[in-house]
Amino acid sequence: MNEKRTRSGEHAAAPPPLPAARSYRVAIAMLLAALVAVGVLHWVLVKRSASLTEARATRAAMISARAAADIATQLGGEGDALVAALRAWQKEHPAVHALRVANNENRSLEASTFPEDLKNGEIPRRMQRDEKPLYDLGQELRANLETNQSEGRKREEEVSIEQRRDGSLLIAAPIEKEGAVIGFAQVHAAPEVVAVEAPSLWFALAFALAPFVVVFALSFWAAPRGDRSFTWLVVVACVLLFVTLFAYRQWAMSTLEASSRSAEQRIAERVQREAAIVSRIAPGAERHANGWDGDQYRQPLKIDPKAAVAGEKSTVANASYGIGILSLALLLFVGTTAATRAKENLVENRQAYFFVLPAMLGMLVLVFFPFFYGVALSFTSQTIYSVNKPYGDIFVGIQNYKEILTDFGIIRHTDAGRAANYENFYWTLFFTIAWTIANVTIGVVLGLILALALNTKNLRFKGVYRVLLILPWALPNYITALIWKGMFHQQFGVFNQLIQLFGGSPIAWFEKPFTSFCAVVATNGWLSFPFMMVVSLGALQSIPADLYEAARVDGASPWQQFRSITLPSLKPALIPAVILSVVWTFNMFNIIYLVSAGEPAHSTEILITQAYKVAFEQYRYGYAAAYATIIFAILLIYGVFQNRVTRATESIAS
Amino acid sequence: MSGDRKGSAHRDRKPGERSHAPVHAFLILFTIVSVYPVLWVFTVAFSGKQSLAIVNLPPEPRAADRLRAITPWPDEPSPKNFVSVMREQPFGRWVFNSAVVSAATTLVGVVMACTAAYAFSRFKFPGRRTGLMMFLVSQMFPGVLTMIPLYIILVQWLELGSSWIALILMYATTAIPFCVWMLKGYFDTIPKELEESALMDGASTARIFFSIVLPLAKPAVAVTALFSFMTAWNEFILAATFMDKETMYTAPIGLRFFVGGFSQQWGYFAAGAIIVAIPVVVLFLFLQKYLVSGLTAGAVKG
Repeated sequence: MNEKRTRSGEHAAAPPPLPAARSYRVAIAMLLAALVAVGVLHWVLVKRSASLTEARATRAAMISARAAADIATQLGGEGDALVAALRAWQKEHPAVHALRVANNENRSLEASTFPEDLKNGEIPRRMQRDEKPLYDLGQELRANLETNQSEGRKREEEVSIEQRRDGSLLIAAPIEKEGAVIGFAQVHAAPEVVAVEAPSLWFALAFALAPFVVVFALSFWAAPRGDRSFTWLVVVACVLLFVTLFAYRQWAMSTLEASSRSAEQRIAERVQREAAIVSRIAPGAERHANGWDGDQYRQPLKIDPKAAVAGEKSTVANASYGIGILSLALLLFVGTTAATRAKENLVENRQAYFFVLPAMLGMLVLVFFPFFYGVALSFTSQTIYSVNKPYGDIFVGIQNYKEILTDFGIIRHTDAGRAANYENFYWTLFFTIAWTIANVTIGVVLGLILALALNTKNLRFKGVYRVLLILPWALPNYITALIWKGMFHQQFGVFNQLIQLFGGSPIAWFEKPFTSFCAVVATNGWLSFPFMMVVSLGALQSIPADLYEAARVDGASPWQQFRSITLPSLKPALIPAVILSVVWTFNMFNIIYLVSAGEPAHSTEILITQAYKVAFEQYRYGYAAAYATIIFAILLIYGVFQNRVTRATESIAS
Repeated sequence: MSGDRKGSAHRDRKPGERSHAPVHAFLILFTIVSVYPVLWVFTVAFSGKQSLAIVNLPPEPRAADRLRAITPWPDEPSPKNFVSVMREQPFGRWVFNSAVVSAATTLVGVVMACTAAYAFSRFKFPGRRTGLMMFLVSQMFPGVLTMIPLYIILVQWLELGSSWIALILMYATTAIPFCVWMLKGYFDTIPKELEESALMDGASTARIFFSIVLPLAKPAVAVTALFSFMTAWNEFILAATFMDKETMYTAPIGLRFFVGGFSQQWGYFAAGAIIVAIPVVVLFLFLQKYLVSGLTAGAVKG
């Protein structure tokens, strides 16, 4: 039934060119999209398993170092027994290249198989001048441990890990005597690879090929048929793409989980084996074995394999969403006629594109790429310390947004009573809106009144007034801001002098939110009214005098003239000016940043100064990016809204 | 048109027209408001001291003393601050940095904006509307959002922190959208017939652009150049974020350096502010007419 209708419809309209070719194109697009989707996801998985493997390699080496240190601790940190024990221990560990025990109490090297140590003379011996870094390392570990003990929490690293260029690890763990650190045992070891196996590439390829085969077969069915079949084909391709991606993801994650679990199992076995060795060499030292699988703070890891993969799982899941969208776009772009049309168009309009290219390129590289990169950052926990980490490692999903948008705690209950938390997003948003409305209103009202005054017929000194009134606009706004900050100075500022002249008492402008608000609004009002004035004045001057003449003849009052001639004529100039100045004021960084600096307690921060401070004073790039993205969304909504409004007013006017 | 009206208007007040005195009073009041901070800067600059108080008040100040304290006239006028801000402080170097960056920004910005605006004005091509919208939308990007990635890319990856090139590129692209919109508005007003006849005579698009359109658009190009220049010359926050080295500061950062944090060198600041602001203020006052017409034309025509 449906098909018949389609066919008859096709007869009525002109048939599209080469309906068969476009069906095959869908199949090709399917192949490409599936390859990209599965390929990228595969790549992410391989990366993840590589980083998991690396983390475990460090853990395995750490176990050795901790065991060696515990042997040394058990044997008192010095003496022949220690040397013998360590020699026996090292025999059991082919991965350990060298081992040294430094004793800071004796300032000696008690045992060492490091070639550079042996070169300097028989061991045990006192440390020499050029071995000071070893002594310093011991002191540092001691200081760190003492700090952690006194603070009751693990803040400083208790084990030092250093990676050499060839990938081998230098791990130093502290040796203790009666609760105090007397030295350290340092192990130079190749990382013991406890591989977390990556899913195989061939399997991934098979995943990508399956939907292609299906769509390719279907394209034979769809090729001779009409538009509707083609649409169905595209829909089927899209669905298949998602199914493929989802299936591959599930399968890959279960692989990852399984191999991660077995890796954890092997780590546990590694600890047991180590304990057995240690108990043979230095009985008693193995009692700490449970803590050997620990981090740099000597906190036991004891990772539950399920929990270990949970983080990985969410990373992969999140990545798969982005990949899904990208590959879908690719599918639709190649599958429909978009790609060929794009090429033809490029050739036909090459001149235009050539002219646009420099500016477009500049914008793409320095504005749009950073913009999208910024949006991407907003889904991460990026800080200044993690800029070189892969995206997957710092991905946190919408956590930043959640943190910003779901925190309604403007009022905080503390022991001292209730206190406002001005760093709350909604407070800042409210403040920004109040700030914008106040400033634009002041600007428009003052600007309009001054323009009307300046437009008085035959007014003398018009030019002088005009120039002097424009001055605030001409002055760079950061200078204005700094000047006004000076004028609002509590002790020497002219405003407080003026207040005192009239018998008032000086105001600490930046100690209360309201006065601080007044100060910034005054500053911004001062610099923003000339723009509105000039715009209004231009529009006023372009109103033909005959109109007023005619109105006067008809007996219209000045107010009526203003209502029905002046205002409507001002509208086309004022509306864009207001739109512009709303955006300008909303983003007026310099005034807030330089005049009030958000004082007191960030209460007079507007959204963008707040975002800036998070980014460049707290260095929380990811969080700041999310903040800035929200600002963008607000501006976008405003832009769409005002576009509607102006369109509506324009259509009414015409 | 405005010339006609001026010619026909009578200079003397017609009988029956109201007095201008209230208007003058109102305008004078606001002129004082708008000029006062500027006078204040001059006062501090010529005071020869670093204090931001105009005079030192006696312990028990009377009303007259208070009045003196807000009268913008220095106690002992002296040009000392101007001399020492250039000689003893690295301010000359900072102004030089600003000048280099601004000049380069103007060049890069104007070239890019002119060509793009011409294409948007004259050619009908797919992506034209999108392109124009992109320029417009980019104006909505909060600076901070692009600044974080730019900081990571330019400073941490490419190690271009404290360099002219990073600032020039960022400033040029900041100025481009506005310049493109303004120039496009202007190009739209240039009649197409001129170009069409040149096209008939066999001139290439590039030739038409350089020898017909650009000369006609001189005023708009000048305004674009001024705008680019002022964007760079007056920019504060990008420079403050990207320029760490003191020798690479631009003038705005230098001025903030004098009075930011615990530093209270208001005399240096005021003298420096006058040196930095005078060229832009003068330029601005000369060219603001074009700037406004461009702004509104660009905005209205959409």
